[in-house]
Amino acid sequence: MAQMIKMVFSDYRYIILAATIFVGMLIPLSIVSEFIFLEPYIISHIPSGSEFSFFLIVTVSALSGLVLAMNVYRINAFRNTPKKKMGGGIFGSLIGAAAGACSCGPIGFAVISTFGVAGGIATAFLTNYEIHIRLFAIAILAYTYYATTKSLAVECKIKN
Amino acid sequence: MGKKGIIFGGIAAVVLIAIIASASISQTGNEALNLDMGQTHGTVSTAMGSPILGSDSAPITIIEFGDYQCEQCYNWYHNTKDSIVQNYIETGKANLIFVDLAILGRDSPKAAAATYCAEEQGKYWEYHDLLYTYQEEVNSGWANSERLKAFAFSLELDQELFDSCVDSGKFAKRVQFNTNEAKKQGATGTPTFIIVNSEGQQKIGGAQPYSVFQKVLDSMN
Repeated sequence: MAQMIKMVFSDYRYIILAATIFVGMLIPLSIVSEFIFLEPYIISHIPSGSEFSFFLIVTVSALSGLVLAMNVYRINAFRNTPKKKMGGGIFGSLIGAAAGACSCGPIGFAVISTFGVAGGIATAFLTNYEIHIRLFAIAILAYTYYATTKSLAVECKIKN
Repeated sequence: MGKKGIIFGGIAAVVLIAIIASASISQTGNEALNLDMGQTHGTVSTAMGSPILGSDSAPITIIEFGDYQCEQCYNWYHNTKDSIVQNYIETGKANLIFVDLAILGRDSPKAAAATYCAEEQGKYWEYHDLLYTYQEEVNSGWANSERLKAFAFSLELDQELFDSCVDSGKFAKRVQFNTNEAKKQGATGTPTFIIVNSEGQQKIGGAQPYSVFQKVLDSMN
């Protein structure tokens, strides 16, 4: 597995891609989960008791960067390869992002205001099971990572 | 003075006694009921909000728009509020008013209304504190009618009076008014704060840390 990572990230473009996806997920997720505030001052704050929630956001973002960059490499290197595993990575990232997008923040309020009771039930579910949903997203991303490295190993052998 | 005069006089006396009695009951608690219908702070109508926590004459008013089922409000209550109370409210530099923005779930308006039932018995802030101490997951039943009544029992409120108040839904419109006021003020999440002094007002969105409030409050002092 480490060999596959080395192979993919030996090309600096994939390091940039992974870092961009990581930062591109971490910052917005931290904002909607109220770990970063932009007004009246830009400040980051992890309230006591929310450390695990923040750790899960970092994990989802890091795994998304890793898995999506590896899949882009796989698609570029082996043009005829199926794109299913890329879908798994995107699906996992979206689930992980959705879990934090609700609660008491503006997105949750917009959903409740737009969809009424149904929106309230949906946001309550996403809020109450935020940790479980993020863990589920991490499981999907971890599986996608495993499947991607396995697939890369096989495809590299065939190519060689 | 005929019979009619005696009857009218009797009715007037009974009404007068009832008014004086109800007024004295409402003043027996730690807090006076918030009955000034024209009360505003900055652009915010706080007439239907909580009683004022702190000195009425404090130069700064912190208005919190919140929901008793909101996790971020819980975070703010447990991580930031104490320092603000200690350094600004108890020292007379600021006061605080809570205005309901009760939309997170079906039990949110009920919990908000129950705080006003507690206010009738002079224990608004004690009840408010209790709700934020025992908050659980949204709509998990922790703020249903039975639990709200149990909270009143633990505060040794007049249980019969409190139960009939909760069951009657008499404060539903007050909560709705507050929720509409919060939306009118542009609150798009809970908690949202508007900090008001004589020169203007500033909004703070979310459960921000004490350092942010300190900066804003000091700049307005």
